[in-house]
Amino acid sequence: MTQTSENQIDTRPLLTGDTVSADEAQAAAELYRELISQHGSPLLVFDANVLREQFRSLQAALPKVELYYAVKAHPDANIIKVIDELGGGFDIASAGEMDLLLDHQVSGRRTIHTHPIKKDQEIRDALRFGATTFVVDNFHELKKLVNYRSRVGVLLRVSFRSASAKVDLSKKFGCSPDEVLALVEQAEQLGIHIKGLSFHVGSQVEDASKHVEAIHACRQLMSQINRQAEKPLSVLDIGGGFPADYELAGFSINTFCAPIRNALAELPSDWHLIAEPGRYLIAPAVTSITSIAGKSQRNGFAWYYLDDGIYGSYSGQLFDHATYPLQVFRGGQTAASIIAGPTCDSIDIVAENIMLPSLEIGDLVVGHQMGAYTAATKTRFNSLPDAKLVVLNASARVD
Amino acid sequence: MKYFKETLYDAVCQEYRVDKLYFESKTEHQHLMIFHNAMLGRVMTLDGIVQTTEADEFIYHEMLAHVPMLAHGQAKRVLIIGGGDGGMLREVVKHPIAHVTQVEIDQSVVDMAIEYLPKHSNGAYNDARLNLVIDDGFNFVNTFAASDNEKFDVIISDSTDPIGPGEVLFSDDFYRLAKACLKSDGIMVTQNGVPFFQADEVQNTQTRMGALYRDMRFYCAPIPTYYGGFMTFAWGTDNTSASAPDAADLNHRFEALALETRYYNPAIHTASFALPQYIHKAIESA
Ligand SMILES: Cc1ncc(COP(=O)(O)O)c(C=O)c1O
Repeated sequence: MTQTSENQIDTRPLLTGDTVSADEAQAAAELYRELISQHGSPLLVFDANVLREQFRSLQAALPKVELYYAVKAHPDANIIKVIDELGGGFDIASAGEMDLLLDHQVSGRRTIHTHPIKKDQEIRDALRFGATTFVVDNFHELKKLVNYRSRVGVLLRVSFRSASAKVDLSKKFGCSPDEVLALVEQAEQLGIHIKGLSFHVGSQVEDASKHVEAIHACRQLMSQINRQAEKPLSVLDIGGGFPADYELAGFSINTFCAPIRNALAELPSDWHLIAEPGRYLIAPAVTSITSIAGKSQRNGFAWYYLDDGIYGSYSGQLFDHATYPLQVFRGGQTAASIIAGPTCDSIDIVAENIMLPSLEIGDLVVGHQMGAYTAATKTRFNSLPDAKLVVLNASARVD
Repeated sequence: MKYFKETLYDAVCQEYRVDKLYFESKTEHQHLMIFHNAMLGRVMTLDGIVQTTEADEFIYHEMLAHVPMLAHGQAKRVLIIGGGDGGMLREVVKHPIAHVTQVEIDQSVVDMAIEYLPKHSNGAYNDARLNLVIDDGFNFVNTFAASDNEKFDVIISDSTDPIGPGEVLFSDDFYRLAKACLKSDGIMVTQNGVPFFQADEVQNTQTRMGALYRDMRFYCAPIPTYYGGFMTFAWGTDNTSASAPDAADLNHRFEALALETRYYNPAIHTASFALPQYIHKAIESA
């Protein structure tokens, strides 16, 4: 729900001086004010400990699965550093993402290139970078790999679409399950080895039912192929989709993943299992901090103009269909309000018809769960400065 | 990074312990490292692929330099394309040549090799007969072929792999222009990959170079750190007797030079043109 109508009340989670204990709110506000006085406003605050916690929770929920962080969710050097230290791999889709990893000296051996459609130059760049796993979903893409067939391992992306996914990733990519056998055969004829299957049920799904269905289907396909194939398929990539807790409802990744664990337990134990999580890992680790630059009263609404908005850190509200929990630090009587971004455009509105206490110029407005597909899709519109990313707990905590 | 993992193939990979990192540079899309490994000495890698190690470079450099030089017997003018580490130059200047031109795309590679791989060039960059040209190899042959300069007796293409900066050195146009820089009885040799894993490379070269020379063939040698058994070297010349010199002549030339080699000798020279059946098959299917 990106653009709610003015009549509809915005019901996203909202933390105010009345909903959060005074001590807690004060501590948070003090930290944010201090960061702003040091680094300016707006900011994105990346807490590396939260990322570490998310990574470990997902790893614990899927103990047999190797995690490849989907760099596209938030392509940032500080984030890459933490994933690297945690021993994670990287899912990359462009030369720009590879450059980021190269700067951090991540070996190409720990990456997979997952973009199903590639130009020849992109394949060559990826090979030079050291990525040798590629994803295809049709015959044209297979043919592009013929020249590199001795070097690459190929995953065939199959389409399984979750109805609950906020972001559909199976409409644009993925072959249908009944094309798999033919494509594997065609690949074999071209001398290209398909080493396994991959899928992505869509991002921000409500439950794991589609993952489970896809795992079952892939298991059948791979087993069927392996009964005859000279070179067995042995890799299953279960993609992403693991959700962020935008409702602040106390989401449990362990509960979410339980059916996936069960489905994976039925696979042959020598198969390699991998996943490409983006959102779940990074969303809660980044918080947006903006300042109210101006206010006014128009058409019966209290308007607050922030120094960051839809063309910046809040771009995910448009491109990613996400609604981020907000926090302000005042309480008391609320009124129908509109929170707008800094550009001249009228779609630059962060929250419309939201019940807010009365706020003042200079007040902070905080956005939670803002690590995934936020800064990643920001634009240059109005040539406004980017929200700067500041890192908390950059070095691993000594437990 | 305490280990170097080669990224040449998806399904298999050689892993080297990095005992000491001497040099690392990352330019746009290019990643060069020089490190020490207890078994291999100094190792140079480019874009995740082993380029040369102190322990086994002699096999590669001796075979790519001495086979054409001794087969020719009177080479006076030599062209080396690439070979920035200096190992090829070191072997070439052991011959009684009048002149050697080396074309390297990047001065910094030469400087870096002199500093961090000093045993490779072993002072050869100071040889008075050397004309070091910093230019793209393709550009150089293109310009040289159109000039009146005296052509070369031997051309050695010591390139990186076909995916990467050395890409043009495997193209039809490059082979054609290089031939135009060669005297009528000259010999051109090129590094041509490990066909056990990369049969495509011999096939491509067979098609491209094979169309240009009256005698086009391959010879081979196993270089341990170029994983996969024999490496092939492409051989192109219009002098059809060059690949089978008289054994006594070859012995005589070798002895006259008093070369101190560790892999090359006249018997190896002759034997290296004998190819295993899987390589023959790969070439035939080109
Ligand atoms: C190929 C691929 N892998 C992984 C991801 C990450 O998905 P998520 O953020 O839902 O974990 C995406 C998201 O667009 C994707 O396209």
